[in-house]
Amino acid sequence: MANENQSATAQQSDTDQLISTDPGGGGLSEQSDNQTVDSETESVVQSQNLDVYYGDTQALQDITIEIPSNRVTAMIGPSGCGKSTFLRCINRMNDLVDIARVEGDLYFHGQNVYDDYVDPVALRRRIGMVFQHPNPFPKSIYDNVAYGLRIQGNTENLDAKVEQSLKRAALWDEVKDRLDDSALDLSGGQQQRLCIARAIAVDPEVILMDEPASALDPIATSQIEDLIEELAEEYTVVIVTHNMQQAARISDQTAVFLTGGELVEFDDTDKIFENPESQRVEDYITGKFG
Amino acid sequence: MSRESYQQLLDELRENVVEMGDLVVERLEAALTALRTVDPEMAQSVIDGDEDINELYLALEADCIDLFALQQPVATDLRFVAASFKIITDLERVGDLATNLAAYAQSADRRLAPEVDVDTIGRDATEMVERSIDAYRREDVEECRAIAADDDALDALCQRASETVARDLIEREADTDDGWAVEQLLDDVSRLLLTVRDLERVGDHAVNIAARTLYMVETDSELIY
Repeated sequence: MANENQSATAQQSDTDQLISTDPGGGGLSEQSDNQTVDSETESVVQSQNLDVYYGDTQALQDITIEIPSNRVTAMIGPSGCGKSTFLRCINRMNDLVDIARVEGDLYFHGQNVYDDYVDPVALRRRIGMVFQHPNPFPKSIYDNVAYGLRIQGNTENLDAKVEQSLKRAALWDEVKDRLDDSALDLSGGQQQRLCIARAIAVDPEVILMDEPASALDPIATSQIEDLIEELAEEYTVVIVTHNMQQAARISDQTAVFLTGGELVEFDDTDKIFENPESQRVEDYITGKFG
Repeated sequence: MSRESYQQLLDELRENVVEMGDLVVERLEAALTALRTVDPEMAQSVIDGDEDINELYLALEADCIDLFALQQPVATDLRFVAASFKIITDLERVGDLATNLAAYAQSADRRLAPEVDVDTIGRDATEMVERSIDAYRREDVEECRAIAADDDALDALCQRASETVARDLIEREADTDDGWAVEQLLDDVSRLLLTVRDLERVGDHAVNIAARTLYMVETDSELIY
């Protein structure tokens, strides 16, 4: 990114254009009980009293949190605690689940992403996602990265954009001589980095990662973790992981969700893992509960 | 390994650190007795026994490293293992100081040295180590703070003892013609000053143990320096 300030300004403006036609949407001045870790850091995603239901089952309860920009925020908790549900709320992936119902507010740069006038497809361009299992398209390496750009009609200097994305995803050196090979011929770790390259090709502001390394071997996991730290210099990264040591290694802040869809504690990662405030969090991370 | 086994390892570490503490206190008391009664055999047993303490220290250090590497403790467990890791180092040093005292006991003559109440200083220092180990075992933060406060009294006792020795030397009319007597006097005084210094350091290690225990329980670093 040539100039971060210019880019951030452009992204803000772009965000307004892409997701909202309502000039008055989504002020945050009435928030009173946010879980926030650093008031000096601008938050990019904010939820306020967010509830999510799957049919009659409540998956998230009253989640209020501010996710700071250009940091890695980890979400941990036992299976079924709602951490992935929260992640999928951020770019409205839960819209694809028929029985899912969202109440409360979730803001992206002050715009409530659940307002009627928000285009979820446009939102997902600004908030990309990487899943647990690498899911490259059955196309060439090049075409995977170029896919989103072509859909946007953003094909000027396509080669350069593909190269830049692959470099940012720390994959370029390994694939530069075989860009026309099938993406499915890559190793699992390479496929996952290709998916990251595909996600960042359209220049999102936030990257959501749902257990991105859980299907990878230790070396590929280490490469993904290194990459996540590098990505945080330009992007806001929110990662769901079952691996608490991974959260401790790579994240700046950690949010702990516990059974029942409750956000119990959100703080700097070293605080969470050395001296959590909540006894329930203490019991969970030390393995006395779960 | 299940979390139940993990908890058992933590419990065992605590028991073993307390056992090491008890052993060190035992050796310290023996060294002080040897010093008081001028008992070379007892002193030698303390010197020979230092190897046991060193081996115990290395074994517990390995246990702590295993816990860090294999169990990756966090929160309370992390602070407990980290504190134990530091405390065994203090205990090993107290063991070394007990060996020093035993060595002084073997070569002590003290016929020419001034009168200093080493017994009281030694008893107070030993008691501080005992109390710090007990505070670690019981996670007693008030006792930790009390031990730190009592160290000032021990330091004052040591300071007065050193001044007594210095004053005695200044006021003594040395018989410079008797080379043997001067040499012996310097030997005795040196050992006495080293004894006082080592006992003062025993107290410092007790405070370190209390400080690590306080941080372990309350994440309060006020006593760590």
